[in-house]
Amino acid sequence: MSLLSVGLGGALGAICRYLLGEWVKEKVNNPSIPLAMLIVNLLGSLGLGVFFGVVYGMVPMDVYDDPLFLLIGIGFFGAFTTFSTFSVEAVELIRKRTYLRSFFYVMISIIGSVALFVLGIIGFI
Amino acid sequence: MSQPHVKKSLMLLSIALGGALGTSIRYAINVQTLTTLYPIGTVLENLLGSLLLGVVTGWALARAINPYIKAFLATGFCGTLTTMSTLAADTVFLAEDFSLTSSMTYVLLSVSGGLLLAFLGYAFGVGLAKSKRKEGEQT
Repeated sequence: MSLLSVGLGGALGAICRYLLGEWVKEKVNNPSIPLAMLIVNLLGSLGLGVFFGVVYGMVPMDVYDDPLFLLIGIGFFGAFTTFSTFSVEAVELIRKRTYLRSFFYVMISIIGSVALFVLGIIGFI
Repeated sequence: MSQPHVKKSLMLLSIALGGALGTSIRYAINVQTLTTLYPIGTVLENLLGSLLLGVVTGWALARAINPYIKAFLATGFCGTLTTMSTLAADTVFLAEDFSLTSSMTYVLLSVSGGLLLAFLGYAFGVGLAKSKRKEGEQT
């Protein structure tokens, strides 16, 4: 049952990440930083914050037996956002010797994700 | 197979399968490391996923790869094994319940480790693909 929630949420999250990513790439040509995954990660972190705020009123602990947490928190938003593509794209910018862009991409991704998560959660506590 | 909607459906199916698998493994690692209290599970997943995606990206650059296999591995599996939203949540949780130092350590370890492993994985993937290609040429 737990694996079903996690797997279903994860499959949906991955598909939504792909579709939104493709849509952004279609709309914006040659962005100076990898915009598609930045938007996905910011949006997904905001979403997880809102979910935590609405359902738990806090960053929940010991909720691994809660199917809703597994479906939406671990499953959907966990899979919708991604760290591996972020790492590879940041390295890609370093390999192209655009160090400043890589630095900004990393900073905006991390600080932005944390800030939007906080914004999402405090909006509903 | 050549119709666009069939291709699109196969692409989404590959991503869904890889996504279900990657998320399940992330969940399993989280459950195994719950007793540590420190969110070490997410650090492990993000580092491992960055390494793997580096390898896949490097390989795909040096050799042709089936687009559905790539979607399964990269967008599906590596994409969902790793997560940014839980990283954000863990960072806030650590700053609130432990200390700002533990929170900063968590972020710095994830980012510097993730980038380093992605870089190493990429180099390994390119090297592996080239050595395989040479093997193929010799036989």
